[in-house]
Amino acid sequence: MLPRLNIKGRKIWMLSALLLIGIVFSFCHIKISKVTIPASAKVGDVVPIQLDIDESCNSGGSDRLILGVLMPKGWKGTQNMSATYKSSKGDGTFTMVPLTTLAAHGEGKNWPDYMRATFGIAGNLIDDMEWVVMQSDNPFTYANGDKITGSIFINLKVGADDNPTVVKLAYVVANTTNGFTSDTYFDEGYGPTAEYYNQYVGDCFTVTGGSGDLIDFCNPQLTTVSPPKSLDNDLVTISFDSNVIETDLSGSDEVYLCATGTTSDGQTINICEQTSKTLMKAVGSGRYEITFWPRAFFGVSDSQTVTNMTYFITDKTGTKQVGYGNTTAPFTYKFKCG
Amino acid sequence: MNRYFILSVFCLLLFSCKIEEVSPVGEAPKNISGSWRILKATRNGTDITSAFDFTQFRVKFDSAGNYTIVNRVPFLVNANGTYALDDPAYPFKITFTPQGGSAVATSFNYITTAGIRQLNLTFVPGCALNAYIYTLEKDN
Repeated sequence: MLPRLNIKGRKIWMLSALLLIGIVFSFCHIKISKVTIPASAKVGDVVPIQLDIDESCNSGGSDRLILGVLMPKGWKGTQNMSATYKSSKGDGTFTMVPLTTLAAHGEGKNWPDYMRATFGIAGNLIDDMEWVVMQSDNPFTYANGDKITGSIFINLKVGADDNPTVVKLAYVVANTTNGFTSDTYFDEGYGPTAEYYNQYVGDCFTVTGGSGDLIDFCNPQLTTVSPPKSLDNDLVTISFDSNVIETDLSGSDEVYLCATGTTSDGQTINICEQTSKTLMKAVGSGRYEITFWPRAFFGVSDSQTVTNMTYFITDKTGTKQVGYGNTTAPFTYKFKCG
Repeated sequence: MNRYFILSVFCLLLFSCKIEEVSPVGEAPKNISGSWRILKATRNGTDITSAFDFTQFRVKFDSAGNYTIVNRVPFLVNANGTYALDDPAYPFKITFTPQGGSAVATSFNYITTAGIRQLNLTFVPGCALNAYIYTLEKDN
């Protein structure tokens, strides 16, 4: 009697262990094998983007697919992106992941914050971007040895902020169980670390049209404005990077801001003195910065609003000026939030 | 004999004790009267204290509920006026009402650092995405 019971118990233990292994180690390595996107679009266009996905599963399990797309905040991706999928495991749609949903292995972060912490802004140069994260509507079930293929079809309405833009869009795929983890098992074609996620950073994507100023996330700029979107009652920082290209100011000890503000009532105010008010502080590595309060800088009255400004960077004599793209045209900036 | 002695000692112990009534100590009302300067400033989490000249700014609170701004910088309000705490002893909110303007409220974060009272004010003077936190400290 006893040996029989022992055999039963052993089977139960073995089944439990297998089930536990199935739960803990259920995974599929995943990769984005191809991204298809037009080279450019116009503000307001709905851009079709196709991601081709391959998965290789090392055990059985069930997961939802996670999709993240990095884009400018001004595009309002949660309102302007939709996605569907077709795969060897079935077809379906993606829905936005609520911000209250914590990411697997995310140490208390939600999915957008987890992507931001793991992948940053994917080599873009202006930190005004966000990860918009969706998940597949249904979990897909897989078995050990499964090779899954599929495509994700994204429709992204670009340029909700009405700004022409150059940006590197980036994409991340993962699953709801493993987050951004990997194992040490080599899986042919899935990289040396065999990740359960994959990031793909696209080339510079251009959006033309729109009434705003060009926002170039992709190429180094002579000057940048932080925050990228501000009003005249914000504190605004203009940075000048003298290393981007050789200019008339290369080798200058001191550089100054020379700016012209335009108010809502049509007044233009030129501040082009070379004093402590306009001096840009050297912050190292050939970079200079000035932080100012536009309302005070241009000296507008309480009833006036500064709507936009043009500016040059000058040397301490004011005779050498650097403008947009190292030309004689000024840099331009509109005070707006959208 | 022994019985009477023990009973006497017991009665003595019993009636020699009395309940001491300790009246609860109330939380002192928060008094922010005085002149406050900016010790630290952040914009969207980035420290900009040394990037801009905040040294001349002062906000002065008096005990009658008025405030005065000296050498303006971007702040909750741009004009002098009155202020109020939502609760004098346990305030969670401070409201500024500028003369001729609308009331603006923010959380009242009144902390003690190294034995010195500090007042953290969070506000949005421009675009809604740009949040500022000023850490104020009283002038000596």
